[in-house]
Amino acid sequence: MNNIPMKTRSLKLLEFLSLEKSADRLLALEVPKDALSWTRFCGALLLVLVVLLFLSGIFMAFYYSPIPGTAYDSVDFALFNVPFGSVVKGVHHYSWNLLLMVMGVHLGRSLILGSYKAPRQMVWVTGVIILLFVPLFIITGDLLPWDQKGYWSTQVRLSIISSVPGMGHIAARLLQGGSLTGVVALTRFYVLHILMLPGLLVLLIAVHFHFIRHRGLSEPLGADPVSRPRIPFYPNVVNRWLFLFIMVSIILGVISWHWIPPFGDPADPTDSSYIPKPEWWVLFLNQLVSVFKGGLAVLGSTIIPAGLAGLLICLPFIDRSPHRHPARRWKILLPAAAIVIAILTLSIMGYMEHFVLVEN
Amino acid sequence: MRTKFVISLSVCLALFIGTLHFTAQEAMGASKQVLIAAKVKSAPAGLDDAAWGKARGIDVPFEGKEVFAGQHTSVATKAVYTKDNIFFLYQWKDANQSITKGAWQYKDENWIHQKGNEDRISMLFEINRINNFATKGCAIVCHVPDGATNAKDGKFGTLTTAEKGDLWHWKAARSDPAGYADDTWLTKISEKKGGRKGDKGSGGDKKNITEDKSKPKYMLAQGKSLVKNGILLASHAVEITDYSVFKDGDTITYRMPKIPTGSFADIKADSRYVNGEWTVMLSRKLDTGNPDDTAFNPKRKYNFAMALFDNSGDEDSYDSEVITLKFK
Repeated sequence: MNNIPMKTRSLKLLEFLSLEKSADRLLALEVPKDALSWTRFCGALLLVLVVLLFLSGIFMAFYYSPIPGTAYDSVDFALFNVPFGSVVKGVHHYSWNLLLMVMGVHLGRSLILGSYKAPRQMVWVTGVIILLFVPLFIITGDLLPWDQKGYWSTQVRLSIISSVPGMGHIAARLLQGGSLTGVVALTRFYVLHILMLPGLLVLLIAVHFHFIRHRGLSEPLGADPVSRPRIPFYPNVVNRWLFLFIMVSIILGVISWHWIPPFGDPADPTDSSYIPKPEWWVLFLNQLVSVFKGGLAVLGSTIIPAGLAGLLICLPFIDRSPHRHPARRWKILLPAAAIVIAILTLSIMGYMEHFVLVEN
Repeated sequence: MRTKFVISLSVCLALFIGTLHFTAQEAMGASKQVLIAAKVKSAPAGLDDAAWGKARGIDVPFEGKEVFAGQHTSVATKAVYTKDNIFFLYQWKDANQSITKGAWQYKDENWIHQKGNEDRISMLFEINRINNFATKGCAIVCHVPDGATNAKDGKFGTLTTAEKGDLWHWKAARSDPAGYADDTWLTKISEKKGGRKGDKGSGGDKKNITEDKSKPKYMLAQGKSLVKNGILLASHAVEITDYSVFKDGDTITYRMPKIPTGSFADIKADSRYVNGEWTVMLSRKLDTGNPDDTAFNPKRKYNFAMALFDNSGDEDSYDSEVITLKFK
């Protein structure tokens, strides 16, 4: 047995598992050589972060108890009593923050380079849907530690959801499971966070990859699509990805070891003095809600965010010109830049209001 | 190629730093005071040790209750820690040093209790989470409704056995002369008893009184001496056999501090009263290993609340809001 070459053993195993054809397809798969260029870094990093989020989430679920009060104790125990508990939670915490940032950069790159153009419209559309989908993880995950920040942030979010005309109130009640945010809400958020949303995310990523596989990666600007050199997917891309995975894991692990992820006081639903601070990624949305008050509140809470999301999704169908070079797409990029500047300005205003002025 | 690499590396670093900047800080919604314990290499040797200069103190406001209602005071508080121990330093103004605690005085061939109580300061931490202590502080554990069967005895305690508090109680007359603060803990108030318990071991004080309660039973043993502020320790006392040796004006300690043992002796104390100001230092192991103590882990933060007693009993105190203790 020991004299059988490793390759033969691997083949036998693949045959046993009826995976030999899949393995052949993988070995035969080729990707453009530019898939390894640094400009493609964000996509690979996003996949690394998603995998890290899944792995760290599974670890945390082993110790978590979705009951108000004990939820806090269980997170506290996992953080400070379980060996490397704070590292795992830190990796989870920093990964999702980084995920949002890298997604923004990834989207920005695709926008600037016109990667959404035909025939890759659905690659863009599924990517934007993933981007809009990820905050649901944060919204549901925030409540799980049952700390002050999570509890009161959820209260604010539920009140914003309630203010959405039509289905808003019903959606909020459905999430909350009653009139109060208690054990039912926590259970629902937990199930959504660890079961339904991950399942849907995997599905969305699979669809995204399906379109990438069939429509291909966009060519670098000015490159000749016919004479584009190609390389085998395995081992080139796979090994690079594994290297990135290990490096990011180590870096995030070290960061988490030194900077324990924030964990506030236990939630006290009777403490109305607590004013949650919005997280960085919702600062602009928060400011929008603050700007439009009274009868115009629906503008800030629903119409503008939904309009922006709709614009993003429909972009490939709005910009149908064949040109990809930014200089020839100023009619799209100028308004996009204006929107980005508006978002940044609102975010800075929000940061000043909630962090700088309050601290002073 | 190098330029591209530098750009990509810079983008990555910016992302990392940005992430840390925005997310590593904890959002503190309510305006809670934060006491930051500074790490020092060697333990402070006393009240004036240079190590205290490394700690950034806070001025904790206190609000009077019962007879002190409407009055306010404050305590300057600092904390430092070493690899194994944590130290707290408190300073507060007090016009009178109160250490009498009903001491005996011989007058006109009679023994009488002198008027006066003692000054005290206490701190309450959580051993296990006490529901809403982080936001409400002592209000959660200090009050039992009037008329409750255990109102007198059990004014202090938690609602369930799962909730446990660690109470550090420095007493100017009953613990400090022995060089300790009482190490006690808090559990559920039962129908009959309060929730305040002494840590495992022994400590506290011993009443110096005869069975007919007319006079002191003990005096200073030969070869022993009175300790700080002229207090008689229980271990230095001997039964009085001849009361004729006393003359008018003689005083004897009524509540004799015992030298604590076991977990009761975890908190060491040092103090000074000068120019109308108390300076008190308490120290303890970060983790005593005892289930009746809070185990301090410098990686996490803790909530605590304080109470100040100015020559008063348990009902009449100055209370602080809840404070967060963090380790730097």
